[in-house]
Amino acid sequence: MEGARLKSRNWTAAIITIVLLVLLPFVLRALGRPGEYWIWVTTEMIIMALFALSLNLILGFGGMVSFGHAAFFGVGAYTLALLMKKAGIPLLPALAAAPLAAAVAAGIIGWFCVRLIGLYFAILTLAFGQLLFMIVFQWYTFTGGDDGIHGIARPDFLGPTNFYLFCLLIFLVSFFVMRMITRSPFGLAVRITRENAERAKFIGINVRRCQLLNFIIAGAFAGLAGGLFTELNRFAQTDFLHWSKSAEPILACLVGGMYSLVGPAIGSSVLIFLNIIIQHIHQSLVEIWAMVLGFILLVVVLFAPEGLVGLYEKATRKS
Amino acid sequence: MTFDFFLFMLVNGLTQGMLLFIIASGLTLVFGVLRVINFAHGSLYMIGAFLAFSLSTLLPSGSLFSFLLLLLLVPPAVALIGAILEITLFRRIYRAHHLIQLLLTYALVLILEDAARLIWGGDIRNVARPEILAGSVKFLGLFLPTYNVFILIMGPLVTVGLWLVLYRTRTGNIIRAAVSHPEMVGALGVNVSRVMTGTFMLGCGLAGLGGVLMVGLANITLGIGMEKIIECFAVVVIGGLGSVGGALLGSLILGVGVAFMQLPLSRLAIVFPYIAMALILIIRPWGLFGRPER
Repeated sequence: MEGARLKSRNWTAAIITIVLLVLLPFVLRALGRPGEYWIWVTTEMIIMALFALSLNLILGFGGMVSFGHAAFFGVGAYTLALLMKKAGIPLLPALAAAPLAAAVAAGIIGWFCVRLIGLYFAILTLAFGQLLFMIVFQWYTFTGGDDGIHGIARPDFLGPTNFYLFCLLIFLVSFFVMRMITRSPFGLAVRITRENAERAKFIGINVRRCQLLNFIIAGAFAGLAGGLFTELNRFAQTDFLHWSKSAEPILACLVGGMYSLVGPAIGSSVLIFLNIIIQHIHQSLVEIWAMVLGFILLVVVLFAPEGLVGLYEKATRKS
Repeated sequence: MTFDFFLFMLVNGLTQGMLLFIIASGLTLVFGVLRVINFAHGSLYMIGAFLAFSLSTLLPSGSLFSFLLLLLLVPPAVALIGAILEITLFRRIYRAHHLIQLLLTYALVLILEDAARLIWGGDIRNVARPEILAGSVKFLGLFLPTYNVFILIMGPLVTVGLWLVLYRTRTGNIIRAAVSHPEMVGALGVNVSRVMTGTFMLGCGLAGLGGVLMVGLANITLGIGMEKIIECFAVVVIGGLGSVGGALLGSLILGVGVAFMQLPLSRLAIVFPYIAMALILIIRPWGLFGRPER
């Protein structure tokens, strides 16, 4: 009974949140110029929330630390940029190709990375992520090197508000797909490999294959986020693959709480908001954004490893 | 390829390999005792190089005395930074899940990289080699840069020194005992946390030493820390995590491999560490000198 009531309350909360998110751009649009800026920011929040959720499949559900997740974000970003700019392919098929390309990259890199668990996994994801970064950085004729790829077309029907709604739709679909995956037998198997890999092997789970498949799925969603992010900015840059870009979703997961489904999305939005506040306090503070993230990470890791959602749950359980 | 050219490339590769070993041995030593992979190791190496630059601006350029002073002062300074990090941060997380440990050292990378950018800026810096090491030496009818020869001598010295400390002193015995049975060592009345701080300082000192030695070989930029930590990772993947001997072999394979790969295609040299790493992962996933996990 208690569980059922809690469940229905959660569903009500989810529906209210979705309705509010759908209405948000219309309210913002009524505010004029600053409103348009905030539509852009909230669109970015939605995309980065998707990126954070994708990493959490590895970090929270798989229990493995990947320091190279930006690589797949970047592969998605460059796939979209190259297809639209060089091949003249329209947005929708290019956007469909982004997660596919990222999944292929994740499949190849993941095959090496899941061979050894734990510490090695972290090392290898960082190293192979850097490899992709260097390839994009050096292959000037194909990727434009550090100039990036600029001037990506935006279809006429996707104004700021429509693009926001478009991203929100993709986010919601992705969110429910990820929710389904984590609750499927496969998702449970991944969770068992996190808790006790030895025992998982014992009951007949192919640990490596589970982790690899999970890694590929996470890579695909990161690629989708990367594609959307490129379309939002209308350019792709090597920054998108840089190792420090991988820090953002890690932090989002930690701040939001990696053992919950929505936590990383909340964490990511909080961080983007924080970035804007910091920008307003002093422009030069953005220069040391990585350092700010580092200090937040340090504090969260030492004092609240379960993040905001964990703190909230602790507080509500006590009261 | 003539013999002269071959020898020249070999010396170049071995030089890079020896430098890499000095840094990677610190990383693997710290892992051996503390069971923590320090992602910030590369950043400490970078800080060592920048400290050497800052100090060199205060000293007469190109004199042997200045260079010796850098060698004497910078590694202890980096070791001191290490001690502060160990006592304030690392000590809290030895018993934590490795996920927490990785994230903590990663947070340090973010902080240290930006701190270096704030202090030293984004400019490319360099330090003049001391005059006595700036020329070249004749060897088998071939002129080799003296500085490379100097590093080729320093590398084995560090190796032997490390071996002597680890295998021929009481401290070394305690460190090695702490690697395999920390509880037992503690039960025997050894102050284990002091051993850990000491080992961490030694590891960071080696990163600092690598930082000083690199200034004679290349420019100092903000990217060198990240570049080197990935090479170090390749070394420990090849040699096996926690093995100093494996680190030596891995470093030399990488150094020489990259040097010879430069010949057919310089782009291939960049991916060589990854190819080597991938090959090892296929053939012998726990590294040449490592043990299979569990």
